[in-house]
Amino acid sequence: MMDTKKLKQLAKDSVYGLISVCVFLCIWAFGVRTSDIGIVMPGPGKVIYEFIQSFFVPIGKYTMPGHILWSLYRVLPAYIVGSVLGIVIGIAMGWFRYVNSFLRPLYEMIRPIPPIAWIPISIVWFGIGEGSKWFIIFLAAFVPVVLNSISGAKSVDPLLLKCGEMLGADKKYIFRTIVLPYSVPYIFSGLQVALSASWATVVAAEMIRSSEGVGWIIISSMDTNNVTQSLVGIVGIGIVGFILAVMMRELEGRLCRWTVREN
Amino acid sequence: MPERKVKLQVRHLYKDFGDLKVLDDVSFDVHDGEFLCVVGPTGCGKTTFLNSVTKLYEPTSGEILLDGSPVDLRRNNISYIFQEQSTMEWYTVYENVEYGLRIKRVPKAERKEAVEKVLEMVGLSDFASYYPRELSASMLQRVVIARAFATKPELLLMDEPYGQLDIELRFKLEDELISLWKELGTTVIFITHNIEEAVYLSENILVLTNKPTTIKERIENTLPRPRSVIDPDFVKLRMEVTDLIKWW
Amino acid sequence: MQMDSKGKLIPVIEGRKICKRFSSKRGEKTVLEDIDLSVSENEFVVLFGPGQCGKTTLMNILSGLDVPTSGTVYCDGEIVQRPAPERGVVFQAMALFPWLTVRGNVAYGLKARGVPRDEWMERSDYFIKLVGLEGFEDAYINRLSGGMKQRVGIARAYCNDPKVLFMDEPFSALDAQTRYMMQDEIARIWETEKKTVVFVTNNIEEAVFLADRIILLTNCPSHVKKEYRIDLPRPRDYTSRDFLLLRDEITKQMDSTL
Repeated sequence: MMDTKKLKQLAKDSVYGLISVCVFLCIWAFGVRTSDIGIVMPGPGKVIYEFIQSFFVPIGKYTMPGHILWSLYRVLPAYIVGSVLGIVIGIAMGWFRYVNSFLRPLYEMIRPIPPIAWIPISIVWFGIGEGSKWFIIFLAAFVPVVLNSISGAKSVDPLLLKCGEMLGADKKYIFRTIVLPYSVPYIFSGLQVALSASWATVVAAEMIRSSEGVGWIIISSMDTNNVTQSLVGIVGIGIVGFILAVMMRELEGRLCRWTVREN
Repeated sequence: MPERKVKLQVRHLYKDFGDLKVLDDVSFDVHDGEFLCVVGPTGCGKTTFLNSVTKLYEPTSGEILLDGSPVDLRRNNISYIFQEQSTMEWYTVYENVEYGLRIKRVPKAERKEAVEKVLEMVGLSDFASYYPRELSASMLQRVVIARAFATKPELLLMDEPYGQLDIELRFKLEDELISLWKELGTTVIFITHNIEEAVYLSENILVLTNKPTTIKERIENTLPRPRSVIDPDFVKLRMEVTDLIKWW
Repeated sequence: MQMDSKGKLIPVIEGRKICKRFSSKRGEKTVLEDIDLSVSENEFVVLFGPGQCGKTTLMNILSGLDVPTSGTVYCDGEIVQRPAPERGVVFQAMALFPWLTVRGNVAYGLKARGVPRDEWMERSDYFIKLVGLEGFEDAYINRLSGGMKQRVGIARAYCNDPKVLFMDEPFSALDAQTRYMMQDEIARIWETEKKTVVFVTNNIEEAVFLADRIILLTNCPSHVKKEYRIDLPRPRDYTSRDFLLLRDEITKQMDSTL
């Protein structure tokens, strides 16, 4: 039951959100009009107009949806592979002591390296095609997922483990029915971080010679000194990132019904 | 007993949460210096009741008057003690007890005197410089009580402060509470699920009904102090109250 | 009931010279000292003592959740070293699996041990009903109230059909009235499904209400101070004179909380 109070709260929240966006747009419009920034930068109206325009008039080879699909084509496979591998390795590291001792030093060395630092190496390894892009996005997803999966498996309430043993479950069964479900919320927060990271990295990845994608829109705008196009690209990245994050939260809500309190 | 003046007046208090009626015409008086226990069945809205009195919630209708005028938390000095031991771990015992007085901008010398007096009354003088984590559960509970009494509140509201303590300790703290109350003449409203506790402490017992909550009965408790839980009169009163609220 | 080769009765749970010491930076602390006790079949034994007296530690050792520093625990004549399904535990912190439904929790032990579906369905149905949670089979734990949660904990322990049931202050998180109700429930369930029960509490009323025998422990380092056999007729009345006198006597015998 969605009572009126909750609805009211929701309405209030959205109004406040809307206000903040409006204030931001106003400051932008005002700044552009009254200062020298206006010489190099368009106002919000122009950018929004161009953004909508970009769905019909191609920028380079494609319209906006085309670029978005290209970027998703680069992000999603690498993200999925990175996440799956990250979950498996992270849980194993969190749960099995020796897996942790074995992999921890390697992981700790890779962890602080920003994914874009791998660009030159990845070009040497995978060439300038899609391979090198997938590789750095893979890293962007893999690192946070491992970290969160480790902490998920490590923080399982020891009382629940004893309780499983008390009820007669063997190691395997405990792993499957206690350790894994316990880690799920942690894994999801890792997946959430990883999604933002990989989507952010695609821009950098598309710097490696590409002629399409939302990242490319921005890169190419630098060559032509087209600030509006650059801002249109930024809006595109922002909106897609937002939609992906919302979808992810929805998925989490469905998979972990038990963490969400009803009423 | 001489006639005491009315301290708190609750008049036709109603509180709804959407379609849910929680308080349904609650009216009662508390006299100056009275020890009133409030009991009722589990889930009967005791907490809503308390929060309405303390203005944490705005009642849907009705009024609460303290000394004849509406409760104003900035002007009136009302203290609360909750079930959780809400000491501030980064302050010493002394600073914890002093805290309320500092908020009220009491001068330093006066603060010192008040804190020392109340610490002595609860037997914590030697522990003034200790931090909460160095104390046992019962001592923490005493710190909380000392803090509440230190400001000499006009009204002290206690929401099941002893719910989780073992019996022996509870009796000891209850006895201390009674002597503090007698010494300082504070008006106390004590909310509890535990009927025996209510009979042990109170001058008057307010029995609430199930939701929507209203007052079922007000029982005068004239048992002589110190009271004994095995005294037949005590048992009789305890059973009488139990029968009024029993749902289990 | 089992007997040894000489025809002597073997208690279901027996602890001999149990000691437990914890060492920390500040030095060693002895929590339990030379505790001997035994529990016979279908007996309801309450471990009772002041505040931090080590009741829970003792129960953990008896149930195999913890190991003693020295001394031995026997269950049906065999040495106890780790938790096992013969020794069911109802935890103070409830320790339910929030990702499982009520049924999932109650049937967990049976499923873990590969009991066929028909059987675990039937048994879990029976015990869910026994604790009064009919209609909540498919509810997740976070939808239940405190009292209902602990009913799940009790049903889960019973459903596994343990030889001994350990209950560690199972009602301490509940309010006084819900607690009375749960005490009635436990007494009723115990009459229906006879079991050997070891029950830990710091509530004297609860102890006298439920116990066949109360083992009174001292403050740390704990040892057995006194044992009381409680012969009051069941169901017991909290306000009867005998009940109150007994309660008063044991309270007076109890050490002060430190």
